[in-house]
Amino acid sequence: MAGDPVIRVRGLVTRFGPQTVHDGLDLDVERGEVLGVVGGSGTGKSVLLKEILGLIDPAAGRIELLGHDTADLDRAERTALQARTGVLFQNGALFSSMTVAENVMLPLKEHTDLPPGLIAEVARVKIAMAGLPPDAGTKHPAQLSGGMIKRAGLARALALDPDILFLDEPTAGLDPIGAAAFDTLIQGLQRSLGLTVFMVTHDLDSLTSICDRIAVLVDRKIRVGTLAQHLADPHPWIHDYFHGPRGRAALDAKERNDARQFAKG
Amino acid sequence: MSRMGLTIRRCSATFQTRRADVPVNVRMRAAEPVAATLTKDEASDRARIDAGPEDGGWRIGAVGRWTLHAASTASDAIDHAPQPAAGTAVRLDLARLEALDTVGAYLLNRLAEQLGADGHAVAVVGLRPEHAALYDAVREAGRAPPHPIEREHHPILDMVVRTGETTVHAAREVRDLVGFLGLVTVTFVRLILRPSRLRLTSVLFHIEQTGLNALPILGLLSFLIGVVLAFQGADQLKRFGAELYVVNLLGISVLREIGILMTAIIVAGRSGSAFTAQIGTMKVNQEVDAIGTMGLDPVELLVVPRALALMITLPLLAFYADVMGLFGGAVMAYATLDITFGQFIRQLHSAVGINTVIAGLIKAPVFALVIAMVGCYEGLKVSGSAESVGTMTTKAVVEGIFLVIVIDAVFSVLFSMLGV
Repeated sequence: MAGDPVIRVRGLVTRFGPQTVHDGLDLDVERGEVLGVVGGSGTGKSVLLKEILGLIDPAAGRIELLGHDTADLDRAERTALQARTGVLFQNGALFSSMTVAENVMLPLKEHTDLPPGLIAEVARVKIAMAGLPPDAGTKHPAQLSGGMIKRAGLARALALDPDILFLDEPTAGLDPIGAAAFDTLIQGLQRSLGLTVFMVTHDLDSLTSICDRIAVLVDRKIRVGTLAQHLADPHPWIHDYFHGPRGRAALDAKERNDARQFAKG
Repeated sequence: MSRMGLTIRRCSATFQTRRADVPVNVRMRAAEPVAATLTKDEASDRARIDAGPEDGGWRIGAVGRWTLHAASTASDAIDHAPQPAAGTAVRLDLARLEALDTVGAYLLNRLAEQLGADGHAVAVVGLRPEHAALYDAVREAGRAPPHPIEREHHPILDMVVRTGETTVHAAREVRDLVGFLGLVTVTFVRLILRPSRLRLTSVLFHIEQTGLNALPILGLLSFLIGVVLAFQGADQLKRFGAELYVVNLLGISVLREIGILMTAIIVAGRSGSAFTAQIGTMKVNQEVDAIGTMGLDPVELLVVPRALALMITLPLLAFYADVMGLFGGAVMAYATLDITFGQFIRQLHSAVGINTVIAGLIKAPVFALVIAMVGCYEGLKVSGSAESVGTMTTKAVVEGIFLVIVIDAVFSVLFSMLGV
């Protein structure tokens, strides 16, 4: 796993006016891992995501995506790089004037020269892989529930078979059953498609169940480690986060789940 | 390689160029080679099919990179591959796949199903472990039935259907708008009985927004219309040596029609749309629902202050527009016809009476009510998405202007019957 980071952030500094959000932040995301990014409100989780995606310019620092410094790229190179990343925004960000199928077909139409019939078929497969019923393709986003919008957004993010999938709070606003199903879906797709997943989340269950490593944004820097490493971390915020009542509940649930898996197999 | 470059150039997704301080010539260097390494697949080994007979059966081998960027080639390869004889067992050998993604897996899966449907016994062999999960996932997803196809359309029948739908819809819209007018009237009456419930701050705020802030644009446009009318009128009247009557022309047309109509149209575009957008955005944010759950009345809180404010400001704005229009005409009359301001005023005095002014301004509150009604009504009709705010705003402006002109025509007929 080591030695081949698909995302490498070095010395990242972000400022909004007098407020410094990130100060010399370093981060490596390895190929094929699921990285959960957590942090308190206002610690710049979403800002970090947007900086990696090139939507916001950092004040200083280098961001490398798939081995290319994102600051040095010209237009064509950036477009090619963007075709290799998929993003699921917090509220889906589906184009409301298009049906779900058209949303999924859009990147395929723009970035490939496939015949229209094949594009429609591929879109259908992606929609089914995202766990949506077949008739969802003809619906407009306004006709979908919150969970279905997330799934449709995921289908669009996966349209081009990206290397890296960025998820911004994928389970926020879903009911626990829907959230768990979405976690399972992401894990299944991550395994079958060999994705690297960068997931900003507040959901402790997602962190404990599908994340290989967890990056915690504290003190304007980032601390990356496995769940076990974070559990032993004495930093007050990290301690409160993982040992608070919700953290404990999620860990207990994971233990029970692991025990059941163990008993089964 | 060249094809990859082509693909990249075709891509036209928008993005911001970052770090504007980097010189352009530095950023532009060596575009093609880097871009080629950035795309997922080198085109060196494209997808192809190796098919032929093998001991008693038929073997189809998929070779190369079966990915999105090679999908057209892969699709062609499948179409042009030699076909097995009817009834032979087929072995689909995937051992020589170098790369596989969803599209490739879909194509291979479709091939296998096609062969199965044609009566061949298909065995998929040699699937590498790293490809197996994806292949299975795509096969599962591919089982989903295709999108239901909508029924065949008949062009003429569809047109009739659409005409009927539009008619019914328009009739319903008129009915609902009249209903809304009734609702607002009832709320108005209730507020008159209990004036303490009237939101005075809100009314004043909207007076400022719709009235005071409209003065510059309305003044300029009315002035220019006055100039244009005076110029065109002078041009025609000069032929008869009746230059002075340009004042009569201006007085009657501006005071009776142009002033108020211009004002109403500008306000419909400016404030009617603003009402729809404001209320519509609140609807999207569920603020209107929140108002309802707190035991407050959205009509009382949102519609009445706006309607009241507009009914106060529109007559004032119309008067202002009259003055500016006449002023524009006077300036033009002085410039082209040497009619002094004194002459202009005297002639105006003899040409129009107070009735003419009143005949114009009396329409203002009615127009105001119509514009506010349509604006607020369409705003409250916004549903769910941000897109519908835009649609409804457009609709409010179009309907507002339409109704203003229709009602103006009704007033003209009425006035002529009454002999005003």
